[in-house]
Amino acid sequence: MHASDPEMALLNARDVFVRRPECTSLWVVLADAIFSKTAQELEEQELGDKGLGDEGVKEESGEVENYYIFYKPKPTGTQTLVGEVPAAAPVEALRLALERFSGDKPPSAWWVLPARRVLVSSPDDIESMFAPAQDKKFRLSTDFHTLTEMRRVKSEFGGQ
Amino acid sequence: MFEKTAESVQEESSEAEKLRLFEARIARGEKIEPGDWMPAEYRRQLIRMISQHAHSEIVGMLPEGAWITRAPSLRRKMILLAKVQDEAGHGQYLYHAAETLGISREEMLAALLEGRAKYASVFNYPTLTWADVGVIGYLVDFAAILNQTMLARCSYGPYARAMVRICAEENFHKKQGQDIVIHLASGTSSQKAMVQDAINRWWWPTLMMFGPHDGESPNTPVLVRWGIKTRTNNDELRQSFVNQIVPELHSLGLSLPDPSLHYNKATGDWIIGEIDWDEFWRVINGHGPCNQERMEARRRAHEEGAWVREALSAYNG
Repeated sequence: MHASDPEMALLNARDVFVRRPECTSLWVVLADAIFSKTAQELEEQELGDKGLGDEGVKEESGEVENYYIFYKPKPTGTQTLVGEVPAAAPVEALRLALERFSGDKPPSAWWVLPARRVLVSSPDDIESMFAPAQDKKFRLSTDFHTLTEMRRVKSEFGGQ
Repeated sequence: MFEKTAESVQEESSEAEKLRLFEARIARGEKIEPGDWMPAEYRRQLIRMISQHAHSEIVGMLPEGAWITRAPSLRRKMILLAKVQDEAGHGQYLYHAAETLGISREEMLAALLEGRAKYASVFNYPTLTWADVGVIGYLVDFAAILNQTMLARCSYGPYARAMVRICAEENFHKKQGQDIVIHLASGTSSQKAMVQDAINRWWWPTLMMFGPHDGESPNTPVLVRWGIKTRTNNDELRQSFVNQIVPELHSLGLSLPDPSLHYNKATGDWIIGEIDWDEFWRVINGHGPCNQERMEARRRAHEEGAWVREALSAYNG
């Protein structure tokens, strides 16, 4: 999502990604705040030392802060929030995530991102941001009973 | 005679190894993500495909957008607004997906506005009546669903994920169009004549959406191996569409503008007549009924929106 600031990104994301009544919360974050590694990269290279950043990641406060941890369980899946860890750098956050969240089957990819960089829609905004979609059932394919209508036409007109 | 240096030999075998690993990942069903190594040709083909798909969604808003102010009821107007809004959203998903490959929005839009990029030729036909809105949803979007469902298995992660979302929303598009066609076909004689006329005009352009006969693309084997082209048989998909839609239209008392159309009991297929591929290539190459009008509308929108882009840049500092 392209936008000039996080608030506009949130509004644009609502318009582009949340047109159907299925959302109660939306998060946006600048792409360069995300530190990501695939399972293959983790096999092939050592994670950097604590305190060292990584390519493309501009974020590094040096102080311990909360990082959100996402992983993709399998190559065809989507990134899913699995928890948070306190860390002083993205690399350290990923190292902690590998210890705490790996499980029996290593995920295919990981994201770590500083919680302070994420703009989350407010619970107070649920009504105005997402509730209007609830009434717009005409956006849903289930609102159109075409099978029933086709049967009606066939029985009325004896179609082929 | 050119002699390879030790360095260039090493570089070539490194590239060959990278290609081997890349193709092995795809063969294992893994998704290629932004930042992963990929052959230059893979990147180029995806940029072309995804950006053209994005252009198609945006230009595709025009023929139906023309009927928003003329919808026959408030409910139909809201439904059509929602559909056209979806198409804008689809264009956004796809432009974003293409941008992850290193091309900018500005470059893609310039290619479209300067006539260097293509979009689905089916949108170069006019929408002459309200029935066209129904037929576009029922036929054109149904054909798009069949074409695009396969793309949800594309090897490039951002494109595959965008297609999952797009296909889900296209279902609504098809059903709202089918709903319109059912109501018109079972309505007054004028309504039925109107929808029959729309079927007559959109039938062949819809069949052309599945692409020329197979065997006409030399790039197919490598594109299939790379998971970019996820099906090899345009004709099979076209036949699947025909077999599903013809009986439905017949049951509504509607006919198809094809004197050769007949049912083959042995194969269970509805056999169509020969598609006019000259028309297909004429329209793709810019000589369709609405090519000029569509591009003028896009250029005008781009020019008139310049102040918005300037304001955003100024706000951004």
